[in-house]
Amino acid sequence: MDEDKCTGCGICEQACPFGAIKIVEKIAIMGDECTLCGACVQVCNTGAISIQRKKVDNVDFSQFRDIWIVAEIKNNKIRNVSFELLGKAIELADELKQDPCVILIGNNVKKFIKEFSNRGAKKIYVAEHESLKDYYTETYSSIIIGLISRYRPNIVLYPATISGRDLAPRVASILELGLTADCTELSIRDGLLLQTRPAFGGNIMADIISPNTRPQMATVRPNVMEAASIKENDGTEIIETNVKINLKGLKLKIKEIISGTIDENEIPVDEADFIVSGGRGVGCQENFKILEDLARVLKGAVGASRASVDLGWIPKSQQVGQSGKTVSPKIYIACGISGTIQHLVGMKSSDIIIAINKDPEAPIFNVANYGIVGDLCEVVPLLTEAFKKKISKK
Amino acid sequence: MKLIVCVKQVPDTTQVKIDPETNTLIREGVPSILNPFDQFALEEAIKIKQENDEIIVISMGPPQAKKALLKCLALGADSAILLTDRIFAGADTFATSYTLAQAIKKLGEFGIIFCGLQAIDGDTAQVGPEIAGILNIPQITYLESIEDVSGKKLVARVQTDDGYKIVEARLPLLITGITTSSFEPTNPPMMSIMKANKKPFFTWDANELGGDKDKYGLNGSLTQVIKIYSPPTKEKGVIINDPPEAAVNKLMDLLSKDKVI
Amino acid sequence: MSLKFTEEQEMIRESVREFAQSKIAPIALEMDEKKEIPQDVIKGMAELGLLGCTAGEAYGGPGLSAVSAGVIAEELAKADCTGSTCVYYLVPASWGFLLNKYGTEEAKKEVFPKLLSGEHFLGIATTESDAGSDVGATKTTIKKDGDNFVVNGEKMYISGVREAVTYGGGHVTIAHQSKELGTRGMTVFYLPLTDEGITPTYIPDLGREGISCGGFTIDNVKIPKHYILGEENKGFYIIHEGYEYARALIAVICAAAGLKSLENGIAYIKERKSFGKPLAAYQGINFKLAEHYTKLSMLRDLGYQALLSIDLEQEGKATRFETSKKVAMAKMFCSEWACDAINDVMQWQGAFGYSRECQDQAAWRAVRSFSLAEGTKEVMKMIVARELLGNKQY
Repeated sequence: MDEDKCTGCGICEQACPFGAIKIVEKIAIMGDECTLCGACVQVCNTGAISIQRKKVDNVDFSQFRDIWIVAEIKNNKIRNVSFELLGKAIELADELKQDPCVILIGNNVKKFIKEFSNRGAKKIYVAEHESLKDYYTETYSSIIIGLISRYRPNIVLYPATISGRDLAPRVASILELGLTADCTELSIRDGLLLQTRPAFGGNIMADIISPNTRPQMATVRPNVMEAASIKENDGTEIIETNVKINLKGLKLKIKEIISGTIDENEIPVDEADFIVSGGRGVGCQENFKILEDLARVLKGAVGASRASVDLGWIPKSQQVGQSGKTVSPKIYIACGISGTIQHLVGMKSSDIIIAINKDPEAPIFNVANYGIVGDLCEVVPLLTEAFKKKISKK
Repeated sequence: MKLIVCVKQVPDTTQVKIDPETNTLIREGVPSILNPFDQFALEEAIKIKQENDEIIVISMGPPQAKKALLKCLALGADSAILLTDRIFAGADTFATSYTLAQAIKKLGEFGIIFCGLQAIDGDTAQVGPEIAGILNIPQITYLESIEDVSGKKLVARVQTDDGYKIVEARLPLLITGITTSSFEPTNPPMMSIMKANKKPFFTWDANELGGDKDKYGLNGSLTQVIKIYSPPTKEKGVIINDPPEAAVNKLMDLLSKDKVI
Repeated sequence: MSLKFTEEQEMIRESVREFAQSKIAPIALEMDEKKEIPQDVIKGMAELGLLGCTAGEAYGGPGLSAVSAGVIAEELAKADCTGSTCVYYLVPASWGFLLNKYGTEEAKKEVFPKLLSGEHFLGIATTESDAGSDVGATKTTIKKDGDNFVVNGEKMYISGVREAVTYGGGHVTIAHQSKELGTRGMTVFYLPLTDEGITPTYIPDLGREGISCGGFTIDNVKIPKHYILGEENKGFYIIHEGYEYARALIAVICAAAGLKSLENGIAYIKERKSFGKPLAAYQGINFKLAEHYTKLSMLRDLGYQALLSIDLEQEGKATRFETSKKVAMAKMFCSEWACDAINDVMQWQGAFGYSRECQDQAAWRAVRSFSLAEGTKEVMKMIVARELLGNKQY
């Protein structure tokens, strides 16, 4: 704080998200709550505030090239988020005049190469081995660390899925790299990856860079970026890696996998275009059928708030929210959901939000595009009928 | 064995509001609380604690973070350590993980480290796995429940995208992603509050911690926040108060008119 | 001396607030209607350690200080507009303090565990039909009978008679042991209400109906000598310490109840419009708000200063007289000021303020009792005058 330059105007006090600045006798004083986030530096008109960061010797990062994405394979299919990451990687690669690449790890994954080369991947790093059939932190992270160390990418993007959020920070801490989670926007600014993400429960947005380490890494939630489309590609390089892993030596072993709490034919909630979601207001497990009927007509998925999952009415895999899944469907219909911050964080970015709740004061109405104050048990069946009619008319 | 729980004091982001006129965060009167996910982690540790186990809570933060640690002591932790020093300020997830890992190393042998899913201000969920990476120990993320634990092994039920899996891992290890607790109550009774002040409480600064000073705080941060701003505000939606049939008709009309369907 | 709470007291406040707001506030008005405090609320209060909070650690209690006891009282008052739980809490807290200080080990080991578990009630029963402020006019007698004592007489307008008779417990009470010595011949003792010689009657109260009001006749009830508090015939001197503890808590409760009503009032006058302006814009209303707020804030300070004096007195850092005076000052106007404020809040709300659905009318009815409970405001004036004029009659 340069007191000579400070005019006591108070703009910094307003800008501080942590309430750490107080204007005392026309000078800004920084308190203990300061997290050095830099919001004040940006807004100060006189340049009175500065943050002293360690000087970094001009390391030559030009040898780090290409934008990599870590593909995720589930139930023998490529998860859609992989194509979304690829779409973004292609955009970034275009700007940097580098190549978008895919890391493909698993067992029997070579058959997926075509789907990525069809969508514009210029290089695909393949690590195929029986031992990689299931995701293990130890195995997947070693492979990625090996690939990064050998091939020096500029940027690596991971899906912010359960495995992705387990994997990315592990790699980041071992290689001591900057990692930004749950990015909602990615772009290039001054040659660096500009990472934008929400914080404070979605109440603020932060722009972040990792200037001093390579590769720059970020995780991205499903349903946020636009998927790469199928296009002509003039050649994809396939780089295979030899894998020598013995599962017996692992410190953590999987004893049993129980899946199929969702019907094979059901659309997973974080991949659906239409979601009908139920909260405490649904009242009981049986009433979820009302929501299922509507979801079926819309060809969508049923979601849930934490309340209905905790009450045992619907499996956790359908949970939307801070400790559940993030979704951004075309239409999100929230039934009997009050709209706590923890839930909103998971569905705020839906294109259209429709809320149905008995309580006119429910916070969900603050984020809804359309809301009906009423009993969902009466409203939703009528809605189902109305949609049925509309669709049959088409 | 030592059960270590990493906790953070955070502003209560559920009470944070945006001033509609200036579009900035209103932080007056927003209380500082023990991060709820960390409380679940502590309660999980208390659940599996045996006679000879010791629960140590650690937090990196400013001096006022002591309050959050005292609450942990009142809830059942045995001792607390506050890592506080100007040098630690401005830390991103890596610097935070490094600092906590240093403290954990200083504690010697341990059995399990518990971390909450994420802090409700940072929302990254990165610190847990990063600590595990630095300490080179197995990590169990998205824990649903601990099924069995002995001095050498732990069996846990872990969430997957469409179900769950059972894993078995060798100690020492780190657990994170605990999202709920079946433990009640969460209001410490008077007796526990009175006892909390008498439990061992340590304050360590950078000197006590040792380690590579360049890896602490702002200097040790590998990511930098260059801008913070409020998300774009949404236009207020249409609220329909009619009886069900009329309401549904109105809604369908609006959706048609606005070309949603 | 400025009012500063310790970290411990902040934790106590948070804990009690969470409990009171979630378990008591939603059902407060019901307690007046049903004329009882639900068992699970009493159990919750006991589990938190609120009942018998002044019992020493040797008896399983938290041994809280008076200021800490005040923090609990304040949070209960904010949540319970009917005041029932406040009384259910403050009476055992105050008379538990006296029992802890002057009771025998045997009595404490017998009474405290049941109090702490929430099973039994501990009350105060000194008032009689013909003896209220003039405690010396008590007609109840206590006579030595070998290793026991025999009690005869009656008590009237006592809180918690039904609770003690139904669930168990008793009251601290006072009687003449040596009538010819006047106030120098009175003994304080614990009287269980479950004896056959106790015949209760019940009186409907204006407010705080969740806790009962009643009386009882005492017909040759025998009590063991270990139920005597302090020394025989010296009771008149120690009983005032119990009254004072209760009075100080009452002052804090009145301030909290009044301030809570003002909060309700502020919300109302900002919303409600009359003649085109919100009520809050009229000085006739907002001047009153300012006045009440100022007085009640002063009352809160006075209450905590009185509690602090009690704590300091136990450490030998304040005298009996200093404490008596501070307590009397705190209690002198507590009911008047709080009732005045609540009365105005009711008036602002017009017809709604007069309906049973309004929280403030319940608060007024509860707070009105505090101009007489545990000592009338007139006696408070006598005490302060005496202190200033040096006319010590005891």
